[in-house]
Parts: sequence; structure tokens; C-alpha cells
Amino acid sequence: MKFLVVDDSATMRRIVINSLQRIGFNDVVEAEDGQQALERFDDSVGFVITDWNMPNMNGLDFARALRSKGAATPILMVTTRSVREDIVAAVEAGVNNYIVKPFTPQVLKEKIDSILPAGATN
Amino acid sequence: MATRAAEELYYDSEATLRLVDTVLDELQVMEAEVAKSEDRVRSLTAHVDQAHAGIAGLPDILMRAHGEIQNVLASLRESRDVLERTTVEKIHHMNDKLREVTSATEIAATDILDGLDRSLALVDQLDTEEGEIDRSSVHAELRNELFAVMGCLQFQDITAQQLSYASSVLGDMESRLTQLAAIFDPASFGLVTETKQEMEAAGPRAFDPAATTQDAEQRQALVDEIFQTGEKNG
Repeated sequence: MKFLVVDDSATMRRIVINSLQRIGFNDVVEAEDGQQALERFDDSVGFVITDWNMPNMNGLDFARALRSKGAATPILMVTTRSVREDIVAAVEAGVNNYIVKPFTPQVLKEKIDSILPAGATN
Repeated sequence: MATRAAEELYYDSEATLRLVDTVLDELQVMEAEVAKSEDRVRSLTAHVDQAHAGIAGLPDILMRAHGEIQNVLASLRESRDVLERTTVEKIHHMNDKLREVTSATEIAATDILDGLDRSLALVDQLDTEEGEIDRSSVHAELRNELFAVMGCLQFQDITAQQLSYASSVLGDMESRLTQLAAIFDPASFGLVTETKQEMEAAGPRAFDPAATTQDAEQRQALVDEIFQTGEKNG
């Protein structure tokens, strides 16, 4: 399965990608913001992991844009934002699950497991 | 003889008439000067009258000046209040965030060093040939330690957002203070433009003003609760 990892922090992208590789997902494409992610998104992408606060287009608008295109690809938001209104806005935008930074690899695996069919992760 | 006496009389009379004419001319000149002096005296009198009127009007002028100064002071107090309202709270929040940056970097550095110490101990174990060790389990443990060290580096993203927030508060304050200074010195308008240009040149920045490395578990619990119930706004 191909993952699209979207974050304006190169450090965070590396951490997320390393975490994915550790649970067996090596096919990853990266983007620095929502706008670039929209350009790089295609039918081959099976899972999206996105940050919220990014220049040009934030993660919430990116999620909305994907859903408005009719894409049903699972979206996992990984962000520092943890105010109730923000979390609810993510639910309304069609985000499938949500991780608060800083996170442990275990939490990332649990959230991916909660979205993907059983046994998708090692 | 009589003719001579008549001629003398004629010449004397003529000389006398010339003298009278000269005296009359001099009198005319004096009269003109007297007239000029009168004008000067009138003018001086008028000035003295005006000065009297000016002195009489001085209290009114001072009252108007006092009113103007009071208005300027009121505007300054209002500007100060606006500055206080808009910036003091942000400055306190910014100070908290800067303290958190110090604390987060220290905690991360300690965690990383601890992880590396444990990793080195595991490497030492692998180098030891004495006794029976489960090499595969030590390898797995080493991988986990190194991976955890990588996870500690998440502090960089969070502290970068906190520093971006602090930078934006300082930029905002600088802009407001420069605008205030421009009221007194229009030349400082150039400084405002420069500040804006500098900030724009730094590129777009996106950050969460509330970004924190603290209480991640409690915050994740709130997220999980909302996603389980599927709560929606309104």
C-alpha cells in the first residue's frame, strides 16, 4: 500500500516514514503542504497521513479537498492541535483518525490498524 | 546818490527775501519730518494697543493649547491601553512558550542521551562472547532503543512552532510600536515598511500557537473520545 505523508517539517516526515517502515510500509510519497499533496495524490495512494498546520494549504483544507473530489482514501491527521473544536472540525472534514503530537510509534500503529482491514500491518 | 541808496535797498530786500525763502523751505522740510514723526508715533501707539489686546488674549490661547495637549495625552493613553490589551496577554503566553522550549529541548536531550547510553550498553552486550545471550533479542532491543531516540526528535517540530509563534508576537509588537512612533516622527514610516518586508521575505509560516510537548496522553484521550462518539459541531 502506498502512503502519502504530508508535513512541512522534514524531521516529522522522516519520523513518520521510519515508523511506517518499521511496521512494514515502505511505499511512501512525501509532500510539504496540502497544495503539493493534492498534486501528488492519485488513485495509487491508499493511505494519507497529514499534519494540520502547514503553509499554502493546511491539512484540514487538504482533507476537505480530497473528500470533495470523492476520494474515500483513509486520512490520519497527526498534529499538535488538540482543542475540542479543532478535533470536531477534523471529524466533520472526513478525517478517519487523529493523533496528537508528540506520539509514540505504538500509537501510530494502533491508529493505522484501527482504519485498515485487520492484518494489514505486521 | 538816491539811486544808489535805492539799489542798496533793493539788494538788501532781495537778500532778505532769499533768506525768508530759505527759511520757508527749511520750515517745509521740518513740517514733513514732523508729519513723519507723527506717523511713527501713531504707528507705535497702534502697536502698543495691539500688544495690549494680545496680552489680553493670551489666557484664551493658553486654554486652547491646554485643550489640545489634553487631547493628545488622551490619544496616547488610548494607544497605550490598546497596546496593553493586545500584547500583554500574548507576551505572557509567549514567555510561557519560550520557557517550554527550554524545558522541551532539555527533556529531549536527556531522553536521547539516555537512549544512546542504553544502546551502547546493548552494543557492548553484543560484543561480549562470554555467557549465553539471546543475540536476536538484544538486536531487537537495540532497534527499539534507536527508534525511540528518533521519536524524541519530534520536539524539533513542536518547538519550531513555539518559536514561530514567539517570532510572530514580536513582529506584531514591533509593527504596533513603530506605528505609534510614526505619529511623532513620520520618518519612521520607512521602518514599518522594512519590518513588513523582512517578515514577508522569511516566507509563509504556519504554526499552532498552543503547540506543546506536554500532556500528550490526556490530549490524545480527548481525541479518542471525540472520534469514538463522532461528535460534530452545532
